[in-house]
Amino acid sequence: MSTKFEFETRSIHSGLERDELYGATSLPIYETAAFAYQRAEDLEAVFAGRKPGYIYSRINNPTVAAFERRINSLEEGLGAIATASGMAAIATTVGTLTQSGDEIIASKSLFGGTLQFFNEVLASNGIKTVYVDPTDIEAYRRAFSSKTRLVFVETIGNPKLDIPDLRAIARLANENNVPLVVDSTLTTPYLLEAKKFGVNIVIHSTSKYIAGSGQAIGGILVDLGNFNWRNSKSELLVAMTRQAGEFAFLARARKQILQNTGSCLAPFNAFLQNLGLETLALRMKQHCENALRLAEFLKTQDLVGVNYPGLPEHAQYQLAKEQYRGFGAMITIRLGSKERCFEVINRFQMVKQLANVGDAKTLVIHPASTIFHTYSEAEQETAGVYPDLIRISVGIENIKDIIDDFEQALTGR
Amino acid sequence: MQLKINGKEEEVQLKVGNITELLAVKNVEMPEMVSVELNGEILERAAYETTLVKDNDQIEFLYFMGGGCVAWCNA
Repeated sequence: MSTKFEFETRSIHSGLERDELYGATSLPIYETAAFAYQRAEDLEAVFAGRKPGYIYSRINNPTVAAFERRINSLEEGLGAIATASGMAAIATTVGTLTQSGDEIIASKSLFGGTLQFFNEVLASNGIKTVYVDPTDIEAYRRAFSSKTRLVFVETIGNPKLDIPDLRAIARLANENNVPLVVDSTLTTPYLLEAKKFGVNIVIHSTSKYIAGSGQAIGGILVDLGNFNWRNSKSELLVAMTRQAGEFAFLARARKQILQNTGSCLAPFNAFLQNLGLETLALRMKQHCENALRLAEFLKTQDLVGVNYPGLPEHAQYQLAKEQYRGFGAMITIRLGSKERCFEVINRFQMVKQLANVGDAKTLVIHPASTIFHTYSEAEQETAGVYPDLIRISVGIENIKDIIDDFEQALTGR
Repeated sequence: MQLKINGKEEEVQLKVGNITELLAVKNVEMPEMVSVELNGEILERAAYETTLVKDNDQIEFLYFMGGGCVAWCNA
């Protein structure tokens, strides 16, 4: 029997096992390193993959598994693997799909941490990243080579806020027998139905909207079950299909990459983030509503520029409207100078300055002097970062209080 | 019919004779997560309904995703 419940219902019920011992309805936190078996034959069978079971929490864990099932249900995927952080999810995915000598095609407009991973970790390990303007489909087309193993984009560029045409990119990627990997952190499973647009692997930093209150770091990757790994250009993946069939990507990701590199999600963090999922839909609605109202307010202020995908003048406003259930809650403003940015940031009373996004609290940061500080001005500009730009992650406080704090910080009154 | 399941010879009674029925009759844990290897070849999940087993077939039930039990709510 399989009744498909709606998103909000699945976000509360999916993945939770019936508690045979006590009838508990909240996810038990299996804060344990390992799992004992009475019989040697049973542990042997679990290691051989003949019997489902838990061995060691670096490999899998019941609390983490419940979180994986819930996310998998929300993304309607084949399976999900949780990791210690969003970056670990990216690293595990790339590690599963590539080896030295391979290439990846990536949007130029990416989170600073992801750029650093590609430029400093992958590059020195023989994996080349070919960067493209995410909104230029011809640029992707030109970037493909026989060595390309994946295409990587963010649903909303951080912090450029540009939006890729997922369907078009997915089509192109699949024509080249290469999976499309999408970082949907700023949209979440609620705003983007990744599978519907042909995305093959979707990744989230669950530290953000999924956790909900900036309380725990985590990540997750989901195989949406729509890429035939037998056609993969990675011989290691093709070899895995002979053992694991359509689970080849997930099997290699968990048993060969995650298990051996070790960036597993802590059970307590999985518990917290699983809890966050229960209110994700409600919170995303409020985040988006607040962001639009704040963006409209900011347009009335003395600023050089206001950027928000939900403003009709945004270059990809229509595309965002078609692809996403809401325009997200990221806004950037330009104030004319770094000095003015710093003055404004220093005046905030409720809004917090810190390096994070997707928190219930409204957050700001000056990316050029922080997240992107190791990059030159030219490199920063490529990613949509300017010396006079402030990035805002709009929270779910009462919008009146958010607007009031921005008004006094901007005007100094 | 005689089948070799996970290395053991067994006598199994089947009506329909497909993989789906075999999974149910053998009470295979977590049928939604199990991979089935028939005579050394991994089967697509979509083929479980249509693939029939015959006498002396060798079947392996394998799990690649790691543990976990059937979800309480089948959603």
